[in-house]
Amino acid sequence: MIMDRLARALDDRLRLSPVTRRALAKVFPDHWSFMLGELALYSFVALILTGVYLTFFFDASSADRVYQGSYAPLDGSTTSAAYASVVRLSWDVRAGLLIRQTHHWASLVFLAAIVLHLARIFFTGAFRKPRELNWLIGVTMLTLALANGFTGYSMPDDLLSGLGLRIITSVVESIPLVGTWLAALALGGEFPSDAMIPRMFVTHVLLVPAVLVALISLHLGILVRQKHTQFPGPGRTEHNVVGSRLWPSYTLRSLALFAWVLAVLFALGGLAQINPVWLYGPFEPAQSTSPAQPDWYVAWGDGALRLFPPWEFRIGGYLVPAPFFPGVVLGGLAFLALYLWPFAERLRTRDRRQHHLLDRPRDHPVRIGVGVAALTFFAVLVVAAGDDVLARLLGVPVYDLLYLFRILVLALPILTGAVAFLTARALRRGEAASLGDLTRADLRRAGRPSRRPSRRDDEPETPAPDRPGERIELWPEGEVWRWRYRDEARRLVLTANRVAVSEEEAVEAARLAYPGVDRVVVPGPPAPSPPGPVRAALRRWGRAAAAGSLLVAALVERRRDRRRQRDGDEGDPREKADAAPRGGEPR
Amino acid sequence: MRRPRAVTLPALYPRRALVVGSVLALALGPVALAPAPDPTPTPSATTPAGDRGAQLYLEQCASCHGVRGQGSQQGPSLVGVGPAAVDFQLSTGRMPVSREVSQARRREPVFSADDISALVDHVASFGGGGPRIPRVASGDVVSGRDLFAANCAPCHGAAGSGAVLTNGWSAPPLYDASATQVAEAVRVGPGLMPAFPGQVLTDQQVDDLTSYVRRLRTERLDPGGNPLGRLGPLAEGLLAWLAVLVLLVAGVRWLGRRAAE
Ligand code: HEC
Ligand code: HEC
Ligand code: HEM
Repeated sequence: MIMDRLARALDDRLRLSPVTRRALAKVFPDHWSFMLGELALYSFVALILTGVYLTFFFDASSADRVYQGSYAPLDGSTTSAAYASVVRLSWDVRAGLLIRQTHHWASLVFLAAIVLHLARIFFTGAFRKPRELNWLIGVTMLTLALANGFTGYSMPDDLLSGLGLRIITSVVESIPLVGTWLAALALGGEFPSDAMIPRMFVTHVLLVPAVLVALISLHLGILVRQKHTQFPGPGRTEHNVVGSRLWPSYTLRSLALFAWVLAVLFALGGLAQINPVWLYGPFEPAQSTSPAQPDWYVAWGDGALRLFPPWEFRIGGYLVPAPFFPGVVLGGLAFLALYLWPFAERLRTRDRRQHHLLDRPRDHPVRIGVGVAALTFFAVLVVAAGDDVLARLLGVPVYDLLYLFRILVLALPILTGAVAFLTARALRRGEAASLGDLTRADLRRAGRPSRRPSRRDDEPETPAPDRPGERIELWPEGEVWRWRYRDEARRLVLTANRVAVSEEEAVEAARLAYPGVDRVVVPGPPAPSPPGPVRAALRRWGRAAAAGSLLVAALVERRRDRRRQRDGDEGDPREKADAAPRGGEPR
Repeated sequence: MRRPRAVTLPALYPRRALVVGSVLALALGPVALAPAPDPTPTPSATTPAGDRGAQLYLEQCASCHGVRGQGSQQGPSLVGVGPAAVDFQLSTGRMPVSREVSQARRREPVFSADDISALVDHVASFGGGGPRIPRVASGDVVSGRDLFAANCAPCHGAAGSGAVLTNGWSAPPLYDASATQVAEAVRVGPGLMPAFPGQVLTDQQVDDLTSYVRRLRTERLDPGGNPLGRLGPLAEGLLAWLAVLVLLVAGVRWLGRRAAE
């Protein structure tokens, strides 16, 4: 009741209903890989939630401080204020350790989710025109997330992270001409400087998160504006989007995912210990510990430093120190390649058209080959960063492992890349539907050079007119018109989410989404098919989850109210649309 | 808090291992890779200690270390190594080694406590003095932590989980050594480990160190849950990826499949 009035009051003043109605009818594809980005989003939300709590207790200063608390081996020791506050956070602050560990686990999961999301975009070609801008934003967010992970990891001022910070400093210093100056500028003096921790703190809790929030909003804004891509399939064309609507199906699914991400992160934070800084001790420039590695998302850099031979170069009279190539050049090239990929690919394929239908990974053997090779390369580097741990666990000399990794890092990417390339080609040329169906003949054919470049891209996007069994049905519904796409042969019915104010408008929208398909006007909406038991259960469960989301609930309440007023005893049109298996909307 | 010395060692982290599921157990797996103990019981001493020591020595040690401890191709001289060295090597099961290995590993001791002290006495009779078996009292963990970070962490790791050194040697994890063994190791410097004589670390400092090392192995230093073998960030990264793939991506796929129905 109160929500009702509140919502109406808001709407009267802000005129929200047209916007929200359109937003609520937005269609999301149902394929699972479209939710990987949400994994990243929700881990980021978890990072902010837990990070704010940490900020209450973290003391970003390198001034001396005496730790007094329940961790006996440090009780009464003088350390930096930052370190002392993190030990206090872990041992003496209520729920401090849980939140701190959850924050750290969330950062590991966040980066992993970003990598998975990026791989999905890459392998399906979702970065192609018109979505290059969102690709660039995504890669930028990856770099920012890496940077924020690293500053966060370094802030507690423990021995392990101090060693990592020293290595990064020496990498930055290895940049010819400007390196030393850059490092001093960033740290505010020689390593380890007093300004270092306060600066990292501001960067970590304010600057980078703020930029990330802005970029995420932009990312999602562009996504809404451009609409989702989708995999090719029955009823799906370059001109429509087929899937679930934002409200209720997608919202419920997404909320369920949010709850699940939080549950997993807090379970990790409560059950598995991470970064026990009290054991590592405070950072002292003269001390060291072994084995020392950074978190996994920067470990590729550490691995490269370990594997790269200690060569020093002299270029034009300047000595280029050893960390320059593995540290600066490798990372720089990797991100440059990521940034430029969409444009490089367009240059090669000369394909300037807009794409809203995704590639299946097999459609571009070169792309998948390069992608798999790059992923393998970085995976080997990450594992190589743990060479000392592996050497001890396996009982083999660390030098042997080092040589093995040097060979692997060059050979394995070529191997996996070639296998991926050939498999993709075999799948594309043969009839096999999935990896399991591949026959030897398919593989043999894949090995041969291509006779003619098979251009799937050039397949006509507009289906031939008058295809039997397919039709568009339009019907009036009170004042408005609705339409749906129907494919008898495939028993597929897709109801458009958006209503049209006139018959002409409905025809126009239908023609845009399904060009060349016959249209008929039918007297009224067809009887809804009953929802399956699982779907019904899911919806029920999801509704319960949604109860917490008060604002959305308010919007719906109000919407239903207004509809009832307007439609009289016509019933609730939302229910009807909802009953159709899936919705669609024209681009 | 001071802890009295304990002789029998409870298993490391039993409760947590139970709590945490099989995924975490996977990550803990490497801890179980430690060399398995070799159960070779020996007949207990019946002859007087002196004879018993000489007899055991001739049977088990002389082939490598020489009849009078003068050393040979297979083993170094034992003259002047001191009772602490002999007691450390025997009580940690390192000696006798059966064949030539680059680093003798820790295992169940081959000899009983009586036999060990008989052998210690016998080797001491070769002369040369050397460090005596330390008497350990409980010390101050705060000073112990400082000393450990400065002297031991570079090799054994700040968390005492061990690390590789050069030439196929490794500094073992410190979770199995008894208080006396820790003090002996500090004084003797077995293998590649440097010895820390009285001029470097006073007896009080060795007590402090010992108390801290003994405390390192207690579960109470892992309030955060399963310590993942205290292997560091990459083990944590592995678990994070497992959680992402097994729990989160699977969840996403499940939701996606339901939606497509
Ligand atoms: C197979 C040959 C072999 C046998 C048998 C053997 N040892 Fe050893 N021992 C060695 C070698 C090799 C070393 C040096 C390796 C090392 O430092 O780990 C060594 C080292 C030692 C040391 C440490 C010396 C030092 O400088 O600190 C002591 C003490 C010792 N052995 C005692 C014994 C005793 C007592 C026995 C009999 C129970 C025994 N060993 C049996 C080969 C042997
Ligand atoms: C140069 C590296 C190095 C340093 C520094 C070092 N150790 Fe060791 N430590 C080793 C090695 C190597 C071994 C294994 C010796 C062997 O197996 O013969 C070892 C063995 C030990 C053992 C026996 C472990 C067992 O379970 O059998 C203890 C206890 C020990 N060290 C304690 C210490 C303490 C305490 C310090 C600091 C005062 C220290 N170590 C410093 C390298 C080192
Ligand atoms: C991109 C997002 C972020 C990432 C990847 C990230 C990562 C990390 C990491 C790895 C740590 C070290 C934790 C540890 O001690 O084990 C950390 C610490 C910290 N983070 Fe974040 N973080 C992020 C966002 C935030 C935000 C938004 C805030 C605050 C609003 C925040 C506040 C803190 C604080 C105060 C610490 C220091 C306390 C401590 O180390 O325990 N973080 N962060």
